[in-house]
Amino acid sequence: MIDFGRPARVALVLLSGIVPQVWSQTPGGPASKPADQTPAPARRAGFAGAGGDYKQYDEATLDRGKRTYSANCAFCHGGNAKGGESGPDLLRSVTVLHDENGELIGKVLQNGRVDKGMPKFNFSPDQVADISAFLHDSVRAAAERGTYKILDILVGDPKAGQAYFNGAGGCTGCHSVTGDLAHVGSKYDAVNLQQKIVMPREGRQFGRRSGKSPTDVTATVTLPTGEVFNGTLEKMDDFAIAIVDQNGDYHSFARDGDVPKIELHDPMKGHTELLKRYTDADIHNLTAYLVTLK
Amino acid sequence: MRTARSLFAICLAALPGVLAAQMLDPSLLLKPPTNAWPTYNGDYSGRRFSTLSQINQSNIKNLNLAWIYRANPGETPGAKVGGEGPPPKPGQGGNPFGVSIKATPLMVNGVLYFTTPDNTWAVDARTGTELWHYFWRTRGGIHIGNRGVGMYGNWLYFETPDNYLVSLDAKTGKERWHKEIADVKQEYFSTPAPIVVGNHVIVGTGGDSLDVPGFLEAHDPETGEIQWKWWSEPMKKGDLGAESWPDEYSMRHGGGMTWIPGTYDPELKLYYVGTGNPNPVMAGQSRKGDDLFTCSIVALDIETGKMRWYFQASPHDTHDWDAAQTPVLFDGVIDGKPRKLLAQANRNGYFFVLDRETGKDIVSYPFLETMNWSKGVDSMGRPIPNPEKEPQVPGVLVSPPSGGATNWPPPSFDPETGLFYVGTSASYSVFYLTDTDPHPEGYGAAEKASGGLGSTLRAIDYKTGKTVWRHDFPGGGTTGLLTTAGKLLFAGDGSNHLVVFDPANGKILWHAGLGGNVGNGPETYLLDGKQYLVVGAGDSLYAFTLAQ
Repeated sequence: MIDFGRPARVALVLLSGIVPQVWSQTPGGPASKPADQTPAPARRAGFAGAGGDYKQYDEATLDRGKRTYSANCAFCHGGNAKGGESGPDLLRSVTVLHDENGELIGKVLQNGRVDKGMPKFNFSPDQVADISAFLHDSVRAAAERGTYKILDILVGDPKAGQAYFNGAGGCTGCHSVTGDLAHVGSKYDAVNLQQKIVMPREGRQFGRRSGKSPTDVTATVTLPTGEVFNGTLEKMDDFAIAIVDQNGDYHSFARDGDVPKIELHDPMKGHTELLKRYTDADIHNLTAYLVTLK
Repeated sequence: MRTARSLFAICLAALPGVLAAQMLDPSLLLKPPTNAWPTYNGDYSGRRFSTLSQINQSNIKNLNLAWIYRANPGETPGAKVGGEGPPPKPGQGGNPFGVSIKATPLMVNGVLYFTTPDNTWAVDARTGTELWHYFWRTRGGIHIGNRGVGMYGNWLYFETPDNYLVSLDAKTGKERWHKEIADVKQEYFSTPAPIVVGNHVIVGTGGDSLDVPGFLEAHDPETGEIQWKWWSEPMKKGDLGAESWPDEYSMRHGGGMTWIPGTYDPELKLYYVGTGNPNPVMAGQSRKGDDLFTCSIVALDIETGKMRWYFQASPHDTHDWDAAQTPVLFDGVIDGKPRKLLAQANRNGYFFVLDRETGKDIVSYPFLETMNWSKGVDSMGRPIPNPEKEPQVPGVLVSPPSGGATNWPPPSFDPETGLFYVGTSASYSVFYLTDTDPHPEGYGAAEKASGGLGSTLRAIDYKTGKTVWRHDFPGGGTTGLLTTAGKLLFAGDGSNHLVVFDPANGKILWHAGLGGNVGNGPETYLLDGKQYLVVGAGDSLYAFTLAQ
């Protein structure tokens, strides 16, 4: 029909397991990047604290700020500034959020809020700036979900994981703990290992003309003439399929319903099928088992 | 004599035309669109069904490109400039996410009006020629998308990422006024297209990062003054729904954003909107309870903003499953009786049909086969969450992921087939609780994408929720939809194509490659006796007509 514009950049969702990325409202999550665009909210100078653009502070400033805060403020506002027995949450404070460099926070410290039981504090301008840096960085840490740290996830039973690996999981169909997975527990930490179990394919495995990966999808295309083409899948939609053969040659075919005949071979199919069967305990047990393979 | 009479007739005919060159006739908003597309969904119902049939199954093969308009956002030469922020530095002022037209343009009296974040354009609907461009100097906010403008008489309204409602003169693009509706420093950011009902400009907002309450409000179209404001949560003990929160503090930081334009029933005088997820988003320990009225479909009195009824789609949500998806209004037959219905394909994987007079549930059916978080539905038709699938420290595998089984791209209801069409996605994520504090903040959990089974265009029988036919896209996701009386279903395929399906059976009838993915729902209108099909894809609008 009509084709114009830039070459298509396809997210091969069906095979790659990449979540379609056109849907998001809030940036930063795994399923929420705009289609084929910037992976994280771009930092835009001049808009501190809004829209994912947070000021960066050096460690020394944050350390000083935290110490000053802990010694003077934590008793009422809590150790993490999320509020305590008598003082409000400072990370949700409109004053703190509107403050840039301590100019608003400083005023409150200097004058206190005597009617609400907050005394005056005689801090130097540097101390005010340090406290303000600590608070702003704590706000950033709460809001910037891309930086959240995953905690200790090792809760599984390694023996049960081993049994699942050798039995119900069907893992030995492709993997061996003395072969491809030997010492896998030394290569990755628990979080990355678990992520590799549920999603071994990293990023897009198509559109690349070099650097073949064992997770690539391959395709066999059989034309009505009987001619057969094999190669790594580069692109497929309802109207065309493109592959790169073993010589690196690119072949593209128009599709019309079932013509030409296409067979796809996804080496990650077993992992995709497991998504429907796993219990969370199965996943945790597998992780606990694989981390023992040092 | 004859000449004089003709002249008089011409004067009579021309006069209102001159006066009303840009003016939107409010009665247009009350019927299905034909020679206009006067509001976000075409009409108030949210069906995105056009009665036009000039383009139909017999001639779809002759659909041809009429024009392309490529949007060039930023402080371009000749742009009218407003806003409270600083001038953009060189290289700034565009969009950090790239330019993607997520607006559904309005078409009124031969002019298309549409937006990207911080930018509004008027474009000749016959030729794609730019008439004016308005640029807003921003103070910040997340610039992820903007759904377009609302119109009242000669005035346009749009929202900015830094939460201003801005009104422009439709004829010139000159700003009339702007009003701040939410605080960007508290991480609110606004994307909806305002919806104009009578003399109310209805605006909502968004923002998930710092635990602020959502709201919907009505503004006066002439002055911009606020008329009413409805909060997504009860504000104090004793208020309706307050028992679904542990305390006043949690409800006042409870989320429930109103970031997708709602729909309206002119007979019932009710405005329907879906609310977003509760906050903190994925850590629920400080907000035990159902967290009303987040993740809910609510009906508000258009004159007062008072809530008439609510239906909660995801009680105590911990997966970011907004219920903001378009609530589609149509009349149908249930158990042999005609009913006024509201249908929504929800981000959580359920398809709901409600009685839109009472909010009573009629159908609750999980359309997504991989959905694994719910233990069925309760006596009120609400899904029962499985607490074991709330985010946990060692991770839990959940389908759908936070992006949802479906999301903001508008669905369509075709009264001729009686089918509800929606683009869906079957994927998984592992949700890790990262904030175990009794008072978590922000999202409180990390989410790692774990693969999926692809994207599908579905035709759903509203009487059962069951999928009647489906088309699995081999590459990429689906987008907004449009059905027409030409027995056509227009969709994007996630592989930069505009695709036309037979709405009865899902057979592909036609397609065209575009320079990007379809960004919102395609639209159609009749102009000079010619039916146009207009769709935004990437940074451009594409207009199609039948070859002569």
